[in-house]
Amino acid sequence: MENKVAIVGVNLDSALDIEKSRERLIFDLVRGLMDDLGIEPTDVDTTIFATNDFLVGRTISNVFEDSPAGVYMRDESKVEMDATNAVMYGTMRILSGNYQTALIVSQGLCGHQVSPYLHISYSLNPIYDRQLGLLNELSAAAFQARDFLTKYGFGDDLMHAIAANSLANAALNPRQARQLPDISPQQVSESPYYYEPLRELHCYPPTDGGCAILLASAERAKELTDKPVWILGLGSSMDTYYIVERDLTVAPSATKAAKRAYEMAGISDPAREICFAEIAALFAHQEPILAEALGLMEASDAAEKYQSGETAIDGKLPINPSGGALGGHPIPATGGFRVAEATLQLRGEAGKNQVKDPKRAVVLGQDGICAQQNSVLVLGI
Amino acid sequence: MEETRTVSAQWELSTYKFRIEGGGLQLMLRGMKEGRFKGVRCHKCGFVYLPAPFYCRKCYIKIHEPVDVDDHGTIMSYTVVMSDIRGNPMEEPQISLMVKLDGCDSWIMGTLKGKDWRDVAIGQRVKIKWAEQRTGTLQDMECFVPAED
Ligand SMILES: [Zn+2]
Repeated sequence: MENKVAIVGVNLDSALDIEKSRERLIFDLVRGLMDDLGIEPTDVDTTIFATNDFLVGRTISNVFEDSPAGVYMRDESKVEMDATNAVMYGTMRILSGNYQTALIVSQGLCGHQVSPYLHISYSLNPIYDRQLGLLNELSAAAFQARDFLTKYGFGDDLMHAIAANSLANAALNPRQARQLPDISPQQVSESPYYYEPLRELHCYPPTDGGCAILLASAERAKELTDKPVWILGLGSSMDTYYIVERDLTVAPSATKAAKRAYEMAGISDPAREICFAEIAALFAHQEPILAEALGLMEASDAAEKYQSGETAIDGKLPINPSGGALGGHPIPATGGFRVAEATLQLRGEAGKNQVKDPKRAVVLGQDGICAQQNSVLVLGI
Repeated sequence: MEETRTVSAQWELSTYKFRIEGGGLQLMLRGMKEGRFKGVRCHKCGFVYLPAPFYCRKCYIKIHEPVDVDDHGTIMSYTVVMSDIRGNPMEEPQISLMVKLDGCDSWIMGTLKGKDWRDVAIGQRVKIKWAEQRTGTLQDMECFVPAED
């Protein structure tokens, strides 16, 4: 999919408590993006929201988000999923030829509103899993972590190293919510246990935040920016909800999503052709599982990769140079954050988190228990 | 003019009525009342589900072949619950298991009693401890305990 749809602008903000209403957060993100690009609502052909009714506390939650996003009397739609899916939706609308620009808006105030891990509890099978009372987002992630560590004979120290890699990057990034300067694997290992082997700093933090992303056709992109970032490929896939029927140490739905995206982008050897990855790994151990699914590493090499610094910002294959979802997970905007951070990297605007001269990036967003649903985008300049 | 505040408000939901496919669960619960497990096998791929859906999720065909599933099994994964879902520490750590029962392909979750959490490992054998008074509910599986076999 060569140079047909471009990301022409991004705006993002997050904090553990952002001290803003949802309305003002959306207004600040979208008005800010429009001011950056010198456009007005009439320049936006369609707007796609990614929003979660349960977390908003109101059904059909997008009907309250249109005005602060400048959508009054304008074309609008919504996905109730991670924001990467809204980016895909917008991309397809532009590819249809009927729209020249698409605005993606996503936000979540999970830091101060409700306990974030609870949203998965309300997605559980009501007559079996909820009655047994043993399954929740943390226990499922802990089962997955235990299986992953056991499969390869890794110790908990790998989890500490992965988390420290992300959290150190997050501490350099003013757009991230969780700021822990001088974080070390030792400090991760001293954070309290939630569900053993998972400790607090292996898990995403409760986060407030949102992002606005403007997509444009090739023709319109030329008018709006001199630094377009092209969407080169996309793919998505869904595993079963039932984790008791899955091998949690692998992510076959992410593998299938990535295969589709890479084929579209003409990438045959991702480990060589991809310069860095932005992966929505909600728990430390998910990062190597998903990186393997993206063809970037063998999970069995994870200890060597993380301990040698290969995954760091200045390493051979930086993973989550932005700090990833351990730095913030404003559900369901997190995949949008990964897209926006990858865009800043490819434009050379990632500040202290900047990877050296990246040309191609892969982005993964996920939804559901133990990354049940995965969406993959390949971006490039 | 610029004043952003946080206010609390109730989101009153009445009791939900879930319409469910209960055949597989009924089969399982009826068996459990007698102290045994009944699952359903897919006649195409052979996968045994407990509790069973009315179709095979992998083959996408209807399934209807009941099979016996043993109450002994192998630990496939475990976690030690040290906090609640909000991160508040628990007084007593509790061991949660995922177990592959003999003769079944989907795993089952349960708690483990009778073992220190530091001694638990993937691959260990466990068995169901059935409740003495069984009523055909999920509570009939009291917990898992270590098994010798
Ligand atoms: Zn089958």
